[in-house]
Amino acid sequence: MLLDFARLGPWRVVLIVIAVLVGAYLLLPILLIVALSFGSSQWLQFPPPGWTLRWYEELFDDPEWIASFLTSFQIAAVVTVLSVVIGLMASFGLTRGEFRGREVLRALFLTPMILPVVVLAVALYAFFLRLHLNGTFLGFVLAHLVIALPFSIIAISNALERFDRDIETAAIVCGASPLEAKIRVTLPGIRLGLISAAIFSFLASWDEVVIAIFMASPDLQTLPVRIYSTLRQDLSPVIAAVSTLLIALTAALMALAALFRKDARS
Amino acid sequence: MTVTDVPLANPSPATARRRGRGIVPVIPALAVVVLVFVIPVLALLLRSVLEPEPGLQNYAAFFGSTTYLKVLGNTFLVAGTVTLATVLLGFPVAWFLAIAPSFWSRLLFAIIILSMWTNLLARTYAWMVLLQRTGIINRTLMDLGLISEPLPLINNLAGVTIGMTYIMLPFMILPLHATIRAIDPAVFQAAALCGASRWQAFTRVMLPLAASGIAAGALMVFVMSLGYFITPALLGGTSNMMLAELIAQLVQSLLDWGLAGAAALVLLVVTLAIYLVQLRFFGFGQARS
Repeated sequence: MLLDFARLGPWRVVLIVIAVLVGAYLLLPILLIVALSFGSSQWLQFPPPGWTLRWYEELFDDPEWIASFLTSFQIAAVVTVLSVVIGLMASFGLTRGEFRGREVLRALFLTPMILPVVVLAVALYAFFLRLHLNGTFLGFVLAHLVIALPFSIIAISNALERFDRDIETAAIVCGASPLEAKIRVTLPGIRLGLISAAIFSFLASWDEVVIAIFMASPDLQTLPVRIYSTLRQDLSPVIAAVSTLLIALTAALMALAALFRKDARS
Repeated sequence: MTVTDVPLANPSPATARRRGRGIVPVIPALAVVVLVFVIPVLALLLRSVLEPEPGLQNYAAFFGSTTYLKVLGNTFLVAGTVTLATVLLGFPVAWFLAIAPSFWSRLLFAIIILSMWTNLLARTYAWMVLLQRTGIINRTLMDLGLISEPLPLINNLAGVTIGMTYIMLPFMILPLHATIRAIDPAVFQAAALCGASRWQAFTRVMLPLAASGIAAGALMVFVMSLGYFITPALLGGTSNMMLAELIAQLVQSLLDWGLAGAAALVLLVVTLAIYLVQLRFFGFGQARS
């Protein structure tokens, strides 16, 4: 009765109304930004009095925006590679190793994900002050790696646990070396886990802003830091243009993830 | 010969444990976490009892000051309101997703995921535009003649609550959806056979069966809201801070590392306490799925 949509009776109306309202609440702000980024009003009037590409031109003409975009991309790319490699090794240890304290280690590895990020940001800022790592590429990579690693370990561990280990053993029985079996049999078998580890690691670094605000120097700013410091001054429509590009990136990644899921099902 | 007879692959558990088999590949991850996480955080917390001189004066200052206690109160108030709002809005939506015709539930799912994955600053920017004095919400309400003066929707706790509810909703809807989907429809047939009305079936069958999912989602949203920084910093005002902003300000403007460490420890203790409750009652996997 309550789990049958057709037989909900008057309750169906209530559910539909709330679902439509929440859907609008979640979607409209995103559509609004896209509309404003093409709107000609400096003061973000809605509906816009006219349409223009001016804000995108301003964005692409500003070397500082381009530099922060590239900085973010480079940091995220390095973090993604490190996070997947280190996460893959750790996942092998956590799912197959037989040593004391394995569960404690697993919990420790996931703690950075649940800890309020502002605490880590302040702690790292103080720590990196002594090591002179604030405002350096290495500092950003290390900090973002700690944030990305839990996502990587969760995704790859789950894939490894679902993977039938007998297949790997069979390859060894058939004459493959243990390493060869891992590379040619196990890695392809857990590729979906590796891909989602990479996507989540990339996004974890790409979107990270709190730690970056503390660590950034005038010479080395990531894109989120640049957006944040601009937002503190005014609500420039250029931010709407940046945001729209970021939304397009999100939509592209979602489509990619959906494709892989389809691939996994077939 | 069966595969389990291969000696290399399966040594007896006892010898393996003694050798610490499989610990080597964990070492790089452990090094990163210890060096870039454990040591810096412990060092920060230590400063709370060492600076400016050894003792608990930072904690006395934190809990003795009405300003800081008000920040703590604001933090719990916002986190509590956001949690309540996400439960009330999220439950019907999760229910809808579980039973609606597949086109509509897929569409709503896509919207939820798109919103969740969209850059946090982009979403916060949208709310800054929407909520400002001359923003769309105020202008629409005034055009409709519902209000004569713009409502103060930004730079206060109302703005923070609206923006954070927006950000936290997906984290409530997704686990709740899994819980409701796992309910066996046959229990409602049984309830109907026993003469239960829809309302009785809802309060006596559905809510109890969904309670663990609601509690898990609520704890997660609450704990995430407690430590939130960006949205309160951009949508909130300077007079009504939340704890994360206070920690940032103590470090950036006042350079009071001792007090910042104390505030960080308070936030950590509350977070970990709630997290342990979650772990104890709901298990790790369910809370995160």
